[in-house]
Amino acid sequence: MKVIKIDKKDWAGGLGKLSDAYRLFGPVKDKDVSDFKELAAGELPDFDFLNTNLSAKSAVFPQNEVMFEYSLDESQEDHHIMKEPEKDYSPRAVIGIRPCDAAAFLLVKRNFDTPEYKDPYWIRAYEASTFVGLACNDPGKTCFCTTAGCGPFHEDGLDVLIADAGDHFLAKAITEKGEALLQAAGWGAEADGGQIETMKKAAEAKISSTVSTDSLKDKVTTELYDASFWEDTAFACLNCGTCTYVCPTCWCFDIQDENYGKAGIRMRNWDSCMYPLFTIHGSGHNPRGTKTQRVRQRFMHKLKYYVDKYGAGIQCVGCGRCVRLCPVNIDIREVCEFMNSYDPAATTCKAA
Amino acid sequence: MSEDWEPKIVSFFCNWCTYGAADLAGVSRFEHPANTRVIRLPCSGRVSPKFILAALREGADGVWVSGCHPGDCHYIEGNYYARRKFALFKNLLEYMGVEPERVHFSWISSAEATKYVDVAKEVIESVRKLGPNTRFVKHKAKVA
Amino acid sequence: MLGYTDKIKEISERLLKEGKVDMVIGFKKGTMPMMNEPCVIKKAEDAGKLVWDSNCGINLANYLTDRKEKIGIIAKGCDSRNIATHIVENKIRRDQLVIIGVPCKGMIDRHKIASMSETEILSVTDAGDEIIVKAEDSEKTLKKAEVLQKNCAVCTHRNPVIYDELVADLVEEQKDADRYADVREIEAMSAEEKWKYFDDLLAPCIRCYACRNACPLCYCPTCFVDESRPQWVGKSTDPMDTRTFHFLRAYHCAGRCTDCGSCERACPAGINIRVLTKKLEKDCFESYGWEAGLTTEDRPPLDTYKLNDPEDFIK
Repeated sequence: MKVIKIDKKDWAGGLGKLSDAYRLFGPVKDKDVSDFKELAAGELPDFDFLNTNLSAKSAVFPQNEVMFEYSLDESQEDHHIMKEPEKDYSPRAVIGIRPCDAAAFLLVKRNFDTPEYKDPYWIRAYEASTFVGLACNDPGKTCFCTTAGCGPFHEDGLDVLIADAGDHFLAKAITEKGEALLQAAGWGAEADGGQIETMKKAAEAKISSTVSTDSLKDKVTTELYDASFWEDTAFACLNCGTCTYVCPTCWCFDIQDENYGKAGIRMRNWDSCMYPLFTIHGSGHNPRGTKTQRVRQRFMHKLKYYVDKYGAGIQCVGCGRCVRLCPVNIDIREVCEFMNSYDPAATTCKAA
Repeated sequence: MSEDWEPKIVSFFCNWCTYGAADLAGVSRFEHPANTRVIRLPCSGRVSPKFILAALREGADGVWVSGCHPGDCHYIEGNYYARRKFALFKNLLEYMGVEPERVHFSWISSAEATKYVDVAKEVIESVRKLGPNTRFVKHKAKVA
Repeated sequence: MLGYTDKIKEISERLLKEGKVDMVIGFKKGTMPMMNEPCVIKKAEDAGKLVWDSNCGINLANYLTDRKEKIGIIAKGCDSRNIATHIVENKIRRDQLVIIGVPCKGMIDRHKIASMSETEILSVTDAGDEIIVKAEDSEKTLKKAEVLQKNCAVCTHRNPVIYDELVADLVEEQKDADRYADVREIEAMSAEEKWKYFDDLLAPCIRCYACRNACPLCYCPTCFVDESRPQWVGKSTDPMDTRTFHFLRAYHCAGRCTDCGSCERACPAGINIRVLTKKLEKDCFESYGWEAGLTTEDRPPLDTYKLNDPEDFIK
């Protein structure tokens, strides 16, 4: 598709026009930390960031989302009936999402949008969204996207890819949705697409961090499960939920009812497999009762179960957030290496 | 604040003293405002900070905790432990921005019906002066 | 603290070789600048993995809870105070432990140093009283004293309070540190301002519980946030639920907190949550003359009382 040149002086004006047709979301900086928020009228997304602390998943899958409302007031006709509250699914545009976060939506989609089960909240929000990606000219030291099925200029999952070329942006429309957005913003000056290719190569060359995932699919699940490295890997883990909350591909949630006198809501909140409460049974038994089991679950899910279930690579896009933000430096790149190179025969011999 | 607003106070009373004092005040026909909802506990030492926060979160305008005078605890020393717990709790609550007059503590023996009435009036009036509680009140979550 | 690493390796290797301990808990080099990873060493030949520098801010006492083995543990001042607290609270026995004491000169503030650099930091190394920060296109030398973790800057117990081995001579304690300046600043605000202050402070919280889990004091079998009958606090990031969580978390550490700074260090949102625990620390000190973890004999302040404790707030 075609490449458009956007002069930086036309940037704010174009976004202004967009805000008539779309709800705009973008990275906003608060006390040195960038995160995705809905932009206020006239507010510009702040592109001065390596990546946001939390991923952009909240634009489609908020940390707290109301599913139903109800009344317990028996004088009302519709008491004790769950009703879906009115929500705003008008078109929204996520401006400045990194290609890794956009690619993550495609991985998550395999869970939320299947032939058997469809998550209406996620799907409606996803379909209402146009993703305008900001290519990474300078990927970080913890970015390992190129070996995790993604890349600094990766296009899958995006509708538009924007690259910062100094005094102007180059915008590549990837889908019709994207083209419509560029039109709505009034950006139409066609440019040569070659420059994006050059920038892409330069950016990919800057990626210094890698993972090997080629052997994961051939490993025997039960052998990996019983591998001896889990205990050492999990030792430092605090079992906080940081890695799962910042991860663009973690999709688990918990459903809660909240009562306020005679009214209430049913909501869903992000949950984390790091918490004991995640799996505890009504009986009090917890099948995943220890820290080591929970840490193993997180990595096995991302790097083995997902690989086997969908046959489409790992459930990770290499954004590096969990590496950067883990309080005790548990590094998925290391764990992936352990798993990918795991040889049960070798460890048994050593132990004996 | 509307004209006919009346403060709601949640009171946690020890069974062995203040609860009896309230009873005695009633039997003795002492008049006092009816703004408190009393929860009877075995000892002021049973009061967890979670109870007080829960009352405020559910929309109480004030909280009043009352137990036996030091030395008079039915369980010998429950109120001594409670005293330290309450001191730190009240300080932290004020430190986080809750008005000092929202949460009250007293020692009232079961014979002190008049003290009960005086403190009840004092508690209710000081909360009335503050107006409805807005802090630590849990409201309905916003629709995302 | 140069040279500590060698001594730590030497002691650990000896303890493991002589069979005095089953394991040594310490730090190994992390994969990121300013990050070391808590680790466990079970074989003498692995003792070489242990390191020590200004990035060992996580409190290792956290990894002792309810362990049954004989354990060697590397402990700076605050770690040792939390070990003492653990012993008092029966979470570990003294005779299970060989405490390898580290006279500490403070840990560096990773959030602060990261925010001082325009570009991504490649490496941060100790050089005595200085810290060398290498970034993509620059190299800066910072005075360590100026980039200490906030709790370390006002620490008055740098030396371990209990230990069996020492990796170096004891260091001089800081005498004139103003430990509660930030608490006093908040105390001086009006109720309105205080409320607003904590609204702003806690707004970035994502309820990941890193602060709670990094804390050696938080070992309840079921945390109040997970209780559901009744449910004391909601699970969402509603400001009132976030505030209730932080209030009760801090309060639960009253008289037990050693201001080790692990909570703040662990926070992925960089929230200065120590202002809550420090208020309680200050009150315990001023009202009951108590500092946590200095002995293994005395009961903590909420587990004891005096007949004449202050009660001017009680009618």
